[in-house]
This record gives sequence, C-alpha cells and structure tokens, in this order.
Amino acid sequence: MEREITVEIKDLYMSYGDKDVLKGINLEVHKGEIIGYIGTNGAGKSTTIKIMLGIVEGYTGVVKVFGQDISKDKLEYKRRIGYVPEIAEIYDNLTAREYLTFIGELYGINYEVVDSKAKRLMRIFGISESYDERINSYSKGMKQKVLIISSLLHNPDILFLDEPLSGLDANSVMIVKEILATLSKQGKTIFYSSHIMDVVEKISNRIVLLNHGQVVADGSFNELKKSSKEGTLEQIFNQITGFDEYENLAKEFVSIVEEV
Amino acid sequence: MEDFMALKFLDKLKPIFHKMGVDYEVMRKIIQMKLLLDGRRVPTVFSGNNQKAKKDSNRFLASLWVYILMGLILIPFVIMKNNYIYQMGIVFGIIMFFVMSSLMSDFSNVILDTKDKNIIGIRPVDFKTIRFAKTIHITIYMFFITAALVGPALVVSLFTQGIAFFLIFLFLIILVDLFCIVLTSLVYALILKFFDGEKLKDIINYVQIILSLVIMIGYQFIGRLFDIVDLKIEFVPKWWQYLIIPIWFSAPFEMLKKSDINLNFIIFTIMAIIVPILAMVLFINKMSKFEMNLNKLSNHYQNKKIDRKGKVPFLSKIICRTKEERIFYRFASDIMKQERDFKLKVYPSIGFSIIFPFIFLFQQLSDNTFKEISKGKCYLFIYFCGLLIPSIITLMQCSEKYKGAWIYKVIPINNMEAVFKGTIKALLCKILLPIFLVEAILFGVLFGERIIPDLFLVFINLMLYITLCFMLIKKALPFSVAFDSAQNDAGINFVLIFALAAIALVHLGFLSIPYGIYINLIISSIATLILWKIAFRISSDNIYEG
Repeated sequence: MEREITVEIKDLYMSYGDKDVLKGINLEVHKGEIIGYIGTNGAGKSTTIKIMLGIVEGYTGVVKVFGQDISKDKLEYKRRIGYVPEIAEIYDNLTAREYLTFIGELYGINYEVVDSKAKRLMRIFGISESYDERINSYSKGMKQKVLIISSLLHNPDILFLDEPLSGLDANSVMIVKEILATLSKQGKTIFYSSHIMDVVEKISNRIVLLNHGQVVADGSFNELKKSSKEGTLEQIFNQITGFDEYENLAKEFVSIVEEV
Repeated sequence: MEDFMALKFLDKLKPIFHKMGVDYEVMRKIIQMKLLLDGRRVPTVFSGNNQKAKKDSNRFLASLWVYILMGLILIPFVIMKNNYIYQMGIVFGIIMFFVMSSLMSDFSNVILDTKDKNIIGIRPVDFKTIRFAKTIHITIYMFFITAALVGPALVVSLFTQGIAFFLIFLFLIILVDLFCIVLTSLVYALILKFFDGEKLKDIINYVQIILSLVIMIGYQFIGRLFDIVDLKIEFVPKWWQYLIIPIWFSAPFEMLKKSDINLNFIIFTIMAIIVPILAMVLFINKMSKFEMNLNKLSNHYQNKKIDRKGKVPFLSKIICRTKEERIFYRFASDIMKQERDFKLKVYPSIGFSIIFPFIFLFQQLSDNTFKEISKGKCYLFIYFCGLLIPSIITLMQCSEKYKGAWIYKVIPINNMEAVFKGTIKALLCKILLPIFLVEAILFGVLFGERIIPDLFLVFINLMLYITLCFMLIKKALPFSVAFDSAQNDAGINFVLIFALAAIALVHLGFLSIPYGIYINLIISSIATLILWKIAFRISSDNIYEG
C-alpha cells in the first residue's frame, strides 16, 4: 500500500560552527503516521524538527513538505503544520485569550472564530476558568495545555510535538494520547519526539532513532524488536546507542553519594 | 486588545508597507501584541508578598523624565552661535551616546529576541514581516526616547536659530536614530560572531552599568557645564575627522549659519545623509545573517574554564571564624560576581561612591586654589563614599532569582548568624574594601602622607557605619527578596545619612585636640566591636520574608 508522502528529507546535513549536528538524514514520512522520533541528548532531533519548521536555516540537502521544497516556498506549507516546542516558549505576560487569538489570527483565522474555538478547547482540558488570566500564573501542566491548543487551532495536517506530555497529569495524558490517535486516524502526520520510551513505544506506529546526527534505526516497534532481540524500546534504545554500562554507572553514583 | 496611538499613526502609512511587500495586517497584530507585553514587562509577583499589584502602566514611559532631564544639557549647545561644527557635534555625540546606550540597555531583549522566531516564525508569517514588526517596535520607543531627549532642545532651537535650522535638526535627528539602530545591531552581530551569548549578555550588562553611572554623574555636572566647555577653537579639517560620526551631522549647521561652504563640509553632509540610509537598507537585507548568529544565544558549546577548584579563598580563611560563615562568604561572593541583575543595581552605586567625594572636592576648587585645599581638612569628604552603604546593604537582600531562597529552609542550619556574617563579610571584602582602597589611595596622593592616620580612622569608622546600617535596616536573608519588592524605608535611610554625618563630625571634632585622632580611633574600634557583637544576635522573628 503506497500512501501519500507528506515529508521527505534527503541528505540533510547541518553544522553549528565546526560541530556537525546532522550527518546525512534521509527520511520519508507518510500520511497518517505517528513517528516516534527519538535519540540521545544532542543527537539532532530538535535541529531536524526546527529545520522542517523553517526556523533553522543554513542546512544542505533537500527538505520537502507536501511535495514542496521548503527552502523555496517558505510560507504556504506553514499553514498546514503545528508545533509544540520542548521548552514552553510563549508570551506568558499575555492571557490565554490574548495569546491564542493572536496565534489564530496569524493563521488568518477570524478573531471571533478562534476565540470561541480556543475557549471550547480550554474547557475540555478543564482550564477554561483561567482563560483570562496571564499565562505566567499558570502551572506547568496548564501552560503545556495552552501550547497544545495553540498548535492545533488551525487544524494542521502535520504536527511536530517535542515532549508534549511534560507536566501533564495522568488524566490529561490519557486525553492527549487519545487525541493523537484520533488525529492520526484522520490522516494527520505526527512527529512525536520524546525521551520517555514507554510512551513512544505505545503511541507511535513507526520509530525513527537518531544517533550522532544519523538515522540508525527506522521501523515499527515490532520490526525493531525482531532485529535487535530486545524486549522494550528502552532496551533497544540502549543497545543501539551503544549504552550498556548503566548498571555500573548507577553503582558508582550511589557509592559517591554514600561517601560523606 | 487595546488600540495604541502609535498603531493608529501607523495605519496611515499602510500603503507604503504594502508596497514594500509587508503583510500589514499581521505586522500590526504583532506590534500591538508587543506593545501590550511591554506594558506588562514589570513582573507581577504572585507569591504572597503584600506589594500593591501594579496596573498595566508602562514602566518605560514613566522613565522618560530621566531623558528629558539629561536632554537639558543640549540646550546651551543649540543656543550658542559661535562654532556650529563643535557645538552641534557635541549635541549629536550626546544624542548618539544616549540613544545607543538606551538601545543596549532597554532594547537588547527586543533586538536579541529569539522567541519571536520560534513562536511567530513557525506560523505562516514571512520573516520580512516579522523583521519589520521588530524594527517598528523599536522605532516607536526610539521616538519616545528621542522626543524626550531632544524635544526641549529642538523647541529652543526653533526660537533661537530659526526655522531652517530647526528643520535640518529634526531631519538629522531621525537619521541619527536610524543609524544608531543599525550600529547597535552591528555591534551585537560583531560580538556574537566571536563570542557566545553569555559573553554578549555580560557586555550588555556592562553597558547598562556604564549608562547608569554616566547618568548619575551627569546630573552633577549639568549646572557646571557652561564653565567647562570652551568652544572658541578653530576648526581645521583633518582626515580622521571623517571617522567622528557626530561631525558629519554638525557640518550642515556650520554651512547654514556661517555660510562657510567648503568641500569638507559638503562631504560630511552627504555622509550624514547617505550612510544611515545605506546602512539601514543593507541591514534589513542582511538581517537573516544576523539572526543566524543569534542562534548562538540559546546554544552554547564553549566550555568555560573553571578557576578555583574547591580551594578555599585565602581571605575568607582569615576573616571567617567558622565553617558555616566561610560557606556563605563564598556563596555571597559568587552571587555578587555572577548575577547580572545584582551587578546592574550595585555596580553603578560603587562607581558613584568612588566619584562622589571628588564632586565635593571640585566644588571647593571653584573658591580655593588646589594648594589651599590640600592643606585643609577637605579630605574628610572621603566619608561621602559611605553614603551608598545603606542601599548596598538593602540590595544585598535582593536577587533576580530570589525564589532560590528555599535552600535556607531546607539546610540544617538553625542559626542564621553565620549566614549574615558570611554575607556581610563578603560584601566588605568584595565591594566596600576595594572602594575604600581606591578612595584612600587617591586622597593620599592629593593630601599627602599626613592623612594616613585619618585614613585608618575613616576605615574603622566606615566599619562602624556598616555595622550600624546592618543593625538598623530591616533584615531579610541574603538574596531572598525580589528587586522590586525590597523594603526601602526612607525614614531609616534618612537617619543613617545623619549617622554618617555625625561620625564624620566627631572625626572633625577630635582633630582639634592633640592626639585626638588616636583617641577617636580607640573609641571607634571599641564601638565597632561592641556593635558587631550585638548586630548579629538576630532572632528569626526579625527576619522578614520576601
């Protein structure tokens, strides 16, 4: 079954100064996929996502979104993508109403429309009573909810999520997971980047593992399990990234703690 | 969202923006949101302090009167009619200094903003529109600063120099503003090219410190400026004058008023017009390069060298008796060294402390000759360097990250004496001692070795004063209060100023008795020791929490 390609990355290289961050990434993503995009700290996950979002320039290679080279048409494809950043970057001196309507209007949505939409979404997350309070008074989980809402206001076809569940309580996590599953069923593509392996394992139908700026594993969880003969994604992750000394390190850590 | 005056004005320019390919509606939205944010820039502190909630008043607009006051300096220069190339050169020099430094101190967060790119840049808004929004946002504020700074002088020039002068002045001011924006960004770009973001933040920090210091000292000299500046010097064109930017801007005035038209002045004038416009055009086109370097602000790869690896500093070993004291001595020194907000608030005071005594000395100089003064007792002006001790001690309770103070509650120290002692000692060694030493050396050079015993007495007396200040000022744990909620008790500060004066007067009194100075030295030392013993008996009820 050949599904429509939504994102296509060819020979993507990127470096900051003399530090090579991406060393030839190749990736084809199809409609309706939930991609678990994982890797160690500094593996290049955020950089890839930021390049696809068009906020990091200076790369070599080709990145196509919906068949369009994003270095040529920088604007139109952005109407169809949404992003939840890892660090809650937000103008938090605004109220949720002010912030969300502002974002909606940037997509050309009418104020009244986005206002009502945002308010109803806030209600579902159970935070509608804070709609007119400044975001800097919100708890971490509430901020995260606002970020998730802001990424979905314009009904995007591709979603980039970077640790979207951080700070959310267990019940909200259930809602968000269910939302993601439903969205993907309706043909949205989701890039799901996280360090929490159990969630990635359950949520995604395809896993892409990045190490030192290269794709080192790509496939469904079952495929990965077969080829690496390990039981959980966490173990697979450890094995592929060549990290097998966690027991020793933990022992050493505790022994230092006990020195006093 | 509320509608701003500036936006209504901007609406009139809408066709121009459309022509330049800017999405005006979106740009307007962004600017509107930015202005709204600016009004709220004062962080509202929620956690249980009883400060009155501030309304959406724009702190920036409230601070404009400082610029109006500083701008008064310009007035004599636009009234004078003897040498336009110099007097207007000075005017433009001053304007450039203030505009650029206020750009660096108040707008570095706008220019260096990376949030915009991450929040707005991922939406279907082209970067050109974002850049324009940013530029206009800055321009709106530049308008206010410039209007406050130059407004009075501009009005005066209309009446004293005529309409032609006024119009040229107005036009050139706009150009200078443009130029300053580009120049500032260029400086940032250059710094970012070679250093990382942290270094840039440090440099901005120092610019802020220098700006506040210059403003503080500037106040003292406004009145005396007329005597200091003599503008009778003949202007001789030299090649290096092309490098002095303010002179470009002053050339048109010389041509207009003195009808002294020559090739040099014409070239200056052309440069004054062409260079800022060219720079602006170039800047808007090259902005993306600049923004690439901005990424460095959030990524830093450089490993910093760590000096002092766990070694206990020599000085703290001598002056701190207990281990706890030493811990807090080091903790306080580290924060004083690292925290930019703390430096910004305290360092200008330090600079001012050093200069303050000299301001009074100079005042004497207008009535007496230097020889007379150096034989007199004016060295007692050195006490003026102690005037800022109360505010420094109050600031010691403050920190930008005051919420980190929860550590005091979880550490197993129940006696806060060591905390305060260590911090005060750090303050003494790292801030007050250096101020005093600089001051003492300068005064020693000016007044000769005869004042050495006096300097010892001054030192002891300042110690006495610090202890007194610490006792009387309402206490909070070091670095545990937000800067804007610091308790500034005017009453106690007033009392403390008198206390300093009293200490100085006692010193003066003992000078008339033979060997009086040594008697005073003994009395002060004993008083200091006693107060020091009492001062740190603090029950935890007296410590107020931010």
